[in-house]
Amino acid sequence: MNTLVSRFTSSSSTELKALDSRDPDYGENEASDITWGSLGGFGNLGLNGIPSFNIPTVPDPTAFLRLHTDDAADSSCRIKIQHGTTTLAFRFQGGVIVAVDSRATAGSYIASGTVKKVIEINPHLLGTMAGGAADCQFWETYLGSQCRIYELRNRERISVAAASKYLSNLVYSYKGMGLSMGTMICGWDKTGPAIFYVDSDGTRLKGDVFSVGSGSTFAYGVLDQGYRWDLTDEEAQELGRRSIYAAGHRDAFSGNTCNLYHVKEDGWKFIGNYDITKLHYEGSQGAAYGYDQRTQ
Amino acid sequence: MQYNGGSIVAMVGKNCVAIASDLRLGNQALTIATDFEKVFPITDRIYLGMAGLATDVLTLRERFRFRVNMYSIKEEREIEPKTLAQLVSSTLYERRFGPYFIEPIIAGLTDSSKGSQPFIASADLIGCLNFAKDFVVVGTAEDKLLGVAEGLWEPDLEPEDLFETISQTLLNAVDRDAFSGWGAVVHVITPDKVITRTLKGRMD
Amino acid sequence: MSHYTRTQSQQHPTQRQFNPYTENGGTILAIAGADFSVIAGDTRQSEGYSIQTRYAPKVFKLTDKAVLAVNGFAADGNMFVKKVKQRLEWYRHAHSKDMPLRSIARLIQTMLYAQRFFPYYVYNILGGIEEDGTGAVYSFDPVGSYEREACRAAGSAQSLVQPFLDNQIYFKNQTPVLGTSHPTHLPLRHVVQLVIDSFTSATERHIEVGDGVELYIILARGRGTQGLDSFKDVQELTPHAEGERLFVLRRELKKD
Repeated sequence: MNTLVSRFTSSSSTELKALDSRDPDYGENEASDITWGSLGGFGNLGLNGIPSFNIPTVPDPTAFLRLHTDDAADSSCRIKIQHGTTTLAFRFQGGVIVAVDSRATAGSYIASGTVKKVIEINPHLLGTMAGGAADCQFWETYLGSQCRIYELRNRERISVAAASKYLSNLVYSYKGMGLSMGTMICGWDKTGPAIFYVDSDGTRLKGDVFSVGSGSTFAYGVLDQGYRWDLTDEEAQELGRRSIYAAGHRDAFSGNTCNLYHVKEDGWKFIGNYDITKLHYEGSQGAAYGYDQRTQ
Repeated sequence: MQYNGGSIVAMVGKNCVAIASDLRLGNQALTIATDFEKVFPITDRIYLGMAGLATDVLTLRERFRFRVNMYSIKEEREIEPKTLAQLVSSTLYERRFGPYFIEPIIAGLTDSSKGSQPFIASADLIGCLNFAKDFVVVGTAEDKLLGVAEGLWEPDLEPEDLFETISQTLLNAVDRDAFSGWGAVVHVITPDKVITRTLKGRMD
Repeated sequence: MSHYTRTQSQQHPTQRQFNPYTENGGTILAIAGADFSVIAGDTRQSEGYSIQTRYAPKVFKLTDKAVLAVNGFAADGNMFVKKVKQRLEWYRHAHSKDMPLRSIARLIQTMLYAQRFFPYYVYNILGGIEEDGTGAVYSFDPVGSYEREACRAAGSAQSLVQPFLDNQIYFKNQTPVLGTSHPTHLPLRHVVQLVIDSFTSATERHIEVGDGVELYIILARGRGTQGLDSFKDVQELTPHAEGERLFVLRRELKKD
């Protein structure tokens, strides 16, 4: 644990390497032994296992990045980072339900309707994706390898609390640099089912019911109304699906399909992929979800 | 233009025209209604569609109704599509420096005594007309509509084929646009009747 | 490099900004079949309303079974392709084989994410044949989020082309005749024709697309050339017929 602690006591700036040809280390990290062979996957991990990043040689790199990527500040910026999502997770008697939509938008354009917003960290842990797609995908994959290392060192699985704290400390060390993530780390450990909300501001919250993204208010509306601790598995899955449908219907930036997962004691299980328009017209078990379909 | 969302397309066929719109009314990301029509009959054979700010769509619908009525009372005849296009253009240009935030599409057939020719036109928000021979598009999905229409449309389509083409164009285009969709309505105008159909579309 | 300067004539501070990015237009497109993959891009390179060149390739052969298309800022794109090729060569030296497609995809993710705070302004599409012999397409955003798909358009005319492909490849909004179903994979000849049609359409309605189109076609090991024979001027890039085979097909587009 000491190495883990010492890693995060250092300030983030020491982990960042400027792209500067005057720097004698310039380019060296890229050509280190690790980039040659079997570690080709995480090629930017240095020899110490910590990823390093090139940053522009300007007085304020963060302002530079914001200028070119932040479409809330300037819609004409060139690099569009995907936004708009609905994700939810809740704890109940039978474990954890995780449900997400699958839409990615760039401005008004729907860039994809088949995004996997649940990241399978390992057979017992799930992470959800809201905010920067690459940030979530990269760091939660990275979290997966760190969790595996923990298992090998400690001969037991990492707790959901520890895994989520690892991620939250990690993103906190990049605070203010433009990472954008709102994620729920869900799993089952010695303490039973658990959900932690972690975001790029450094917030880390333990809770029973969470929803994240532009459609979260719509999802909460259905979720809060139907939520009970003693829901059956089928009722809980239906509630997750119904909540994502509500968000997909009312929120322009959410929709396409709903991916549903159920975490139990023996790990997570993928329940299914549901087309939101099909849920509107036909429902999942006979009764249509659409209010105009039900009332006509 | 993205405040309320919405898209419209019109196409020329063989002795017929078609005009179609989506049904969404939104307040930015929030979908308020899924039955908001943006295409209105002006005469029995001319339809006018307006995409953009919903309040201006409703205001202009009444204004155009008034102006077209005044025209037919004075002239004692029905307005022609190209005349309507000019009327729309000049009405919009009156507000050159404080425009209505809408883009119109006109689709119709010319007077049958003059051969009943198909006519379509679109304009920008200050009334610059575009008389196209194939198809016209406006709204938040205009780029998507343009791409699909360019791929699907062909000259001299019969009414039923034109219906299929315009429906496929609209549905597939709005499915890639966050601000349009939630159902659609299609009008196919032929010399002897207007076929109006409501389409089931994606509801997300 | 942002700094303040005071000019002689007007005593107002002027702010200057370091802007290393520009947009060079163009469109790329990839479609995966059951045992083949087609990756295409137009060859026009522009900046604003000016055409810089009518022939600047955006699609590059990485290995015999992997092709990468890059779109966005051409300088970043060319540098990125160069670096990917270098990493693949190192891999070849270390392992005496080509890197599998899914590994190339993950490599591209980490290479893009390494530039998270100074991104390559490039949209990548990777196409090729997976180790199990299926056709595959991977698409990336500028900072490395990626997904395996069957069909993807990127670049300035993506919003024109993608909904057309949704309709023609995935049969979106089309109901099959009762008792039948839509095919999951289309035949090669049909796919190549759709790709060419997509670029002709995009050329008509987008000013940054045109001049020419290059299609790279990768066939799985053991697959014959059926479907390609009806096209003339198909050039093979792989030296031998065993293993995956790579072909290139060039077509002129309107130049106005």
